[in-house]
Amino acid sequence: MGYQGKGMDKARQFLPSGRIVLSAFALSIGAARAGDASSLSTGDLKKLSLEELMDIEITSVSKRPENLSEAASAIQVITQEDIRRSGATSLPEALRLASNLQVAQLNTREWAISARGFNATFANKLLVMIDGRTVYTPLYSGVFWDAQHVLLEDVDRIEVISGPGGTLWGSNAVNGVINIVTKSAEKTQGLYLAGGGGGLLRDFGEARSGGKTGGNLFYRIYGRHVDRNGLVNADGTDTHEPSALSQGGFRMDWRRSEADAFMAQGDMYGSDFQAPGPGETDLNGQDILANWTHAFSPESDLQAQVYFDRTWRKAVFTPTVAFTDELKTYDFDFHHRFPLGSWQNIMWGAGYRWMQDEVENFQVFSFLPAHKDLSRFNAFAQDEIALLSRRVKITLGTKLEHEEYSGFNLQPSARIAWSPDTRQTLWGAVSRAVRTPSRIDVEFFAPTPPYAAPTLHYAGGPDFESEGLLAYEVGYRVQPMQRLSLSLATFYNQYDGLRSLEFADVPNLGLEFRNGLDADSRGAELSGDFQASSWWKLRGGYTYMESDIWQKPGHTDLEIPFGKWDDPAHQFSLQSMLDLPAGFEMNVSGYYVSSLPDPHVQPRMNYSAGLVWRHRGLEVSVYGRDLADDQDPEFGSGPQREEIPRSVSGKVAWRL
Amino acid sequence: MGPLGLLLLALALIRGAAAAAEPGMEYQVKAVFLYNFTQFVDWPAEAFAKPDAPLVIGILGRDPFDTYIDDVVRGEKAGGHPILVKRFRDIEAARECQLLFVGGADARRLDSVAAVLKDRMILTVGDSGEFSKRGGMIDFITRQGKIRLQINMETVRAARLTVSSKLLRLADIVEPGKG
Repeated sequence: MGYQGKGMDKARQFLPSGRIVLSAFALSIGAARAGDASSLSTGDLKKLSLEELMDIEITSVSKRPENLSEAASAIQVITQEDIRRSGATSLPEALRLASNLQVAQLNTREWAISARGFNATFANKLLVMIDGRTVYTPLYSGVFWDAQHVLLEDVDRIEVISGPGGTLWGSNAVNGVINIVTKSAEKTQGLYLAGGGGGLLRDFGEARSGGKTGGNLFYRIYGRHVDRNGLVNADGTDTHEPSALSQGGFRMDWRRSEADAFMAQGDMYGSDFQAPGPGETDLNGQDILANWTHAFSPESDLQAQVYFDRTWRKAVFTPTVAFTDELKTYDFDFHHRFPLGSWQNIMWGAGYRWMQDEVENFQVFSFLPAHKDLSRFNAFAQDEIALLSRRVKITLGTKLEHEEYSGFNLQPSARIAWSPDTRQTLWGAVSRAVRTPSRIDVEFFAPTPPYAAPTLHYAGGPDFESEGLLAYEVGYRVQPMQRLSLSLATFYNQYDGLRSLEFADVPNLGLEFRNGLDADSRGAELSGDFQASSWWKLRGGYTYMESDIWQKPGHTDLEIPFGKWDDPAHQFSLQSMLDLPAGFEMNVSGYYVSSLPDPHVQPRMNYSAGLVWRHRGLEVSVYGRDLADDQDPEFGSGPQREEIPRSVSGKVAWRL
Repeated sequence: MGPLGLLLLALALIRGAAAAAEPGMEYQVKAVFLYNFTQFVDWPAEAFAKPDAPLVIGILGRDPFDTYIDDVVRGEKAGGHPILVKRFRDIEAARECQLLFVGGADARRLDSVAAVLKDRMILTVGDSGEFSKRGGMIDFITRQGKIRLQINMETVRAARLTVSSKLLRLADIVEPGKG
């Protein structure tokens, strides 16, 4: 393993520590923004004086080019600076900055987000974590994006890995993994106040206060409230679907000694979304997490983490018709790393999760039984072997998982990376990942018995099994010059047993879910960062993908003709961050998404632009979003389909 | 399922998975420090077999620098001596270098380093936090996320090495003999 921090440094590195501030970088390159702390070349470091060398922070892990140049996977990182300068006001908006994701907004609260395709309203092949806390729902193995919020100001970085991550992260990390990592409390000292409003983002206010007690205990508390207006209908009229969100939380980071570090954090939120007429969706939730890292030596440490998460939602259709879901998740995980001999590093660990899901069903659909306890155990081991003067690294590992519906699942992977020099890495991987069954696959009924229509109703499939993926990846990362880094990842995915909706065998029993589809997909993801000068940074990407889906012999899927998954073949994105004189910044981010086949959505090219003025701790900005057209749909079809209008909003932020 | 801490560990993995080329910032900076030491320390002429013999930076045991340090010193010279990096498995083999880096905190190893290299003209550098107090010469100490230097002047003098005042000015001087 390359980077072996010392004692506490190691421990801090495992905690989502804050973004590096490389003052030395600023000295040598002349860029004064922390976000520019890209890799210092060997030559740059050698030019520094001893004093400057002693001023470099060495403990952070968030240095993008360094991580990226080494990573044997298709990882793209969105930094705090990228987020701030994009003017993003929510997590999904920030995720648009990762060109290896398919991101489409459905309405003011719902998004369809996937990696490497198979995107849908209920996309189910992406694993999302916020500071190590999984936020997927066992109802459908997807993410309720309307319940996932963070104070973007305190996000250190978002790591988007396209491709399977099952060996490390476990099931559901099929097509990709999103890690949202917030800053250490040590990096968020002081006061942050912000507020603003405008079009779609009607008004918002945010506050955070960070402090320190004793020598080594850092903390922060935050609160925020956001009101959003609804999107528009195809004819341009307001959908009248405003939403309101309130959220607050804390984080503490304590470095007890050189060897031990503790982190604790918690959040609570409440939100409601109005629908036209009597409909509305209410949700609230709380979570708390604790993490302990103990370093035995620079190369060996143990980390344990425990969390509790409760999330509740109620979808009201009419005053008497509503569906509620309450999910409580208890989770414990640990892992241990140690070197074996001089050229191997072993990591192993285990975890247990217990989820209590309780729904209140209604006539239209139901999950039966209404209350379900799901337990999940996993263990994994991985060996990293360094060969040929550490220029070649082979990583072999597997995860073994046991869960309620499908029993044991094995998710092995083999990765190899070759770095002929410090500026380039060629890597390849073969991995298996699974999506384990979720409640909808097995326990779903529509309509709810005994309301079942005599001939046509849906039901979960009692024999539904895990969906499997075997993925082949080859990638290349290169930093041809100090200011430019490029990454190309290619993949070939073979899916086995994807969910199909089929006629049940017994006549008049209706429809049920089965594993009746196979598929393969191919694609390439190109991304790059270019520091054109000390005052102009560009980042961009292009993603191509295509897929073939077919029915297994003896299976007929009834969903395919109606558009099951909807993925663009081509996606481009470009973000420009330009520093102007007198504290001004001009930021533009744009994208192109080719047409979605079925349901058909026109190709869309859109961009956002923002003008920012920064003076000491004060920041004033105005952003125009989706400026290219009056309004555009992004996903779906039919008269209910909502469109995203052009909008403008302003923000004033004060950092003390 | 295995997320949570695994997210963090996975970061480490991803970083480690292909870390063939660059070590973390910590060891990049330390590698550059080692190079700087060759410029800020004077060895007696007898430390070299010939006037144009290479100045060898030895790395004892586990190598945290990967190939980074080779890139740092490539083409560089110290007082007319081309700089070379060599890796050593045990301390006996490491007698022929001019600067020796001993990573990690293995106490037995520290003691044997001090014993075997006693009075040889080798600048010993470690990063255990104990190194300079246990017979080593320069110790990298991490304080508030930054590197500090601790220099044991007794052992430096015993090895007949001369440390530039520019370096001494920035370092903490330890004199174990004086308590």
